[in-house]
Amino acid sequence: MTVIPLQKKLNYLRWVALATVFSMLLLIPFLYLYQTFVAAHAYDYLSSYEKLVYKFGEFVSSPFTSDPKEALDALKGTTWIGRLFGLDLADPLAAVANTAASKRFYWPLWTMALIPIGLTLVFGRFFCGWLCPATFIYELNDNMGAWLRKLGVPVSRRRLNRSMKYFVLAVGIAWSVLMGVTVFSWIYPPLLIGRELNYAITLGGFGAGMVFFVLTLLFDLLVARRGFCRYLCPGGALYSLLGHFRLLRVQRKAEICNDCAKCNAVCQFGLSPLTDRFTQECNNCTACIQVCPTDALSFALRIQDQPYQGPGHLGRHYARHRHDGEVPEDGKTAQLAASTGSGRI
Amino acid sequence: MQRRRILKLIAGVAVSVLSGGVARAARVVANFRFVRPPGALPEHEFTSACIGCGLCAQVCPNRAINYFSPGAGKKANTPYIVPRTKACILCMKCGAACPTGALKKITRNAESIVQNVKMGHARVDKTLCLSYQGKTCGVCYRACPLQDRALKVGMLEQPEVLGECVGCGICERSCIQIPQAIKVIPTHLATA
Repeated sequence: MTVIPLQKKLNYLRWVALATVFSMLLLIPFLYLYQTFVAAHAYDYLSSYEKLVYKFGEFVSSPFTSDPKEALDALKGTTWIGRLFGLDLADPLAAVANTAASKRFYWPLWTMALIPIGLTLVFGRFFCGWLCPATFIYELNDNMGAWLRKLGVPVSRRRLNRSMKYFVLAVGIAWSVLMGVTVFSWIYPPLLIGRELNYAITLGGFGAGMVFFVLTLLFDLLVARRGFCRYLCPGGALYSLLGHFRLLRVQRKAEICNDCAKCNAVCQFGLSPLTDRFTQECNNCTACIQVCPTDALSFALRIQDQPYQGPGHLGRHYARHRHDGEVPEDGKTAQLAASTGSGRI
Repeated sequence: MQRRRILKLIAGVAVSVLSGGVARAARVVANFRFVRPPGALPEHEFTSACIGCGLCAQVCPNRAINYFSPGAGKKANTPYIVPRTKACILCMKCGAACPTGALKKITRNAESIVQNVKMGHARVDKTLCLSYQGKTCGVCYRACPLQDRALKVGMLEQPEVLGECVGCGICERSCIQIPQAIKVIPTHLATA
């Protein structure tokens, strides 16, 4: 076993990261409310609910700062645009959309997007798997879909064309240029989650963006598994393009693979680790690494996927083909393995 | 058959929920008087430069900034202030926070604010104003953050708006007459 055991645990770490980002999006609006209460010297005039918010804010921030009114400005925003302990960060899609809509190059925004772009060049579409607050909900939604399937409720697993999301990205940019509006801010799920939570907590009620988000949840459940992320998300498209030559990618070691196809079954993005087709869509979520019974999947430093290595050397299909002395056709073995394998879900 | 019925049920619930939301979104159209936060670009440039991130409201200590819903078309997700509900206190934090330059960064001193902020211009309705009706009031003048530059009072505390008014709306917020005798005319309405 050449795999470091740590890599098997990364999927848990990923869930911690997702939950942290999501709870930050809940925490930040409450801290903002606390800030305004402090700024107004208004404790005595608060309602009982607001007093609770005040005490919560005091409890959270008092170990770190004695001046919450100013110091809490270091923690603001969403994953779209955010300030994380004083460090300004922006979603690359925000920079692209702003440049397209306003037709001018506002360099401060691009400098904010620099760190995310750099990380994406190295880690690929990692935002989608590790940080996106919508992914947190979508994965829970997907698990619910698996439960419903078990209970006999029909959950559709259609496969659509992946290049649709690049089309959405292109159309969105064209629309932004023509109409002078940032259209992505209407449909981009991580932004919707962050903003709607902020609206609900600080402005008193969800906005209409929540309607669209619920629609995407239904789409995922009734049409295609993780359908929005796979086929429609413009941010995912941009991250995929940026991550095409990513440095860190999951790779298969054919020598110790037994063709069980659990990796294909667990992959929410519908990719095929079994046939070495990770492609630019892979978000390095490490679910396949965790599920692999022979530890054949692990991270490797490469700028391109390995070409199809043939069936796993521990699998019975491999043995048969070796006797025949023939090379299997691309994909055929995988289908065979997937149909006979004990893939979960 | 079972499958089809369940799908129909789910689709029915979804449609009814969504149509409610859409109706609500469509109803909230921008047909009220609002001002943009301080330092905003001219209206058409502003709607194209704003990316709807929500940071300006998250730094506003007075909770004055709110957002249009998608029913407002081009204005969707862009910030506005309704002075009578909550007026701008000219702290200039929103401009400092804005990542796209849709709100300009303005230093917080009277000179720079007077030069750069143009949210609107206050206007006194003399037929409503208590001071012009013989009841000495002067509340708007007391509230004004730019006293004697934006607003001055004459005999019997009768207010008069001066050229350097930036349209923050604190006078409208504080006016004790209903309907308000002093109101902010937003820049984007005045120029249109």
